[in-house]
Amino acid sequence: MGLLKMPPQIFRLVLLTIGIVVSYFIARQLLTPASFRDYGFYRGAALEEVASRTPVFAGRKSCLECHEIIQTQLFKGEHKTIGCESCHGPSSAHVADPDSDGKKPDKRNTLACSRCHEANPSRPVTQKQINIKNHYAGQKCTECHVPHQPNEVP
Amino acid sequence: MKFDFSRRKMLGVFGGALAGLLSAPAARAAKATVQKVFASSGAPNGYDPYKHKWLMCFDVDKCIGCGLCVDACKKENHVPEAAHYFRTWIERYIIKKPKPGSDRLRGEVLVDSPNGGRDGFPPTSVPREEILKSFFVPKLCNLCEASPCTQVCPVGATFDTPDGAVLVDPNYCIGCGFCIQACPYGCRFLNPETKTAEKCNLCYHRITRGLKPACVEVCPTEARIFGDLKNPVENDPIQTFIAKNKVFSLKPHLGTEPRTLYANLDKEVR
Repeated sequence: MGLLKMPPQIFRLVLLTIGIVVSYFIARQLLTPASFRDYGFYRGAALEEVASRTPVFAGRKSCLECHEIIQTQLFKGEHKTIGCESCHGPSSAHVADPDSDGKKPDKRNTLACSRCHEANPSRPVTQKQINIKNHYAGQKCTECHVPHQPNEVP
Repeated sequence: MKFDFSRRKMLGVFGGALAGLLSAPAARAAKATVQKVFASSGAPNGYDPYKHKWLMCFDVDKCIGCGLCVDACKKENHVPEAAHYFRTWIERYIIKKPKPGSDRLRGEVLVDSPNGGRDGFPPTSVPREEILKSFFVPKLCNLCEASPCTQVCPVGATFDTPDGAVLVDPNYCIGCGFCIQACPYGCRFLNPETKTAEKCNLCYHRITRGLKPACVEVCPTEARIFGDLKNPVENDPIQTFIAKNKVFSLKPHLGTEPRTLYANLDKEVR
């Protein structure tokens, strides 16, 4: 038993070192998240957690599943690039429960038109712009323009 | 202290250590199950980050500064309502004409972003005849290939994902703010409610479900273009955009290699 004949102070040091190393490995096992290094030097489960939120905007595809007539109108005109929820607001609640009146998206208003069409020198010249104060003031935009078919006259 | 080196005692000590070592994997497995239970159940299944590479492009000439993207981003991601918290925002650049008689190309450059452009832009006080040119620039996380923000995180709470997003793990973020200072584009902020760093995550909960990010979804002029480099579709918007435009990134001299590309960008944009 040559090992046990080493001086007691050295033996204590050896024991201490072994203890530290062992506790390091145990701590590392316990404290490292299970999904660490799944993708890189971080917790892989975080990706799933971030992705688990529920979307607020349902996306144009879900709108067009029911509102097909709008689609045929919209795709003819200049407003074809605009998503439904740009004007009508977030509607995933309405998509999840289409029959409930309380969850229907907002009705658009005059403000929604001016948001894109109010004259502003910073806007690109290709954008059709008006000075809302001088442009048939007092009348609703929809009296002369059809939002879903801007090229048509009502 | 006197040690008793009897065989019985030593066997006991080593046996205990061995049992401890063996129990560690078991404890870890138990911990993994607990984490699985706590981990969100609504996460989309079957999404493989290695099979996608997302990219966002901007056509500055198409941005009309309506601010719908900023509004949609705040609603989609529950960004704090206060005026200076944004994951995406729009800047208005007004470049004045040079003073008469000066040998300058252009005059003063004014940049503003009232409420991030969320409510649109009020008419500028600069008279129209003094403006040389003016335009809007949408901004968000530049999705850097060599992201400075992830390099400085002391706890590994922010990272580049294989599919090209830069995410924050809110459960591990300690809110030290190093990443906020490191981002040269000012794209991060400290959420006052959660006290963790927050930034554009490309609407990660949307793109993993096959939806577009909220800002792209509502952009009326297609000034924001979003796509997947690894799965190009027919008439892929990204490929078309890069083929048709001369593209440029913000602050290329910093070597961050941003993956958001801008077309028709002016020299004055920083």
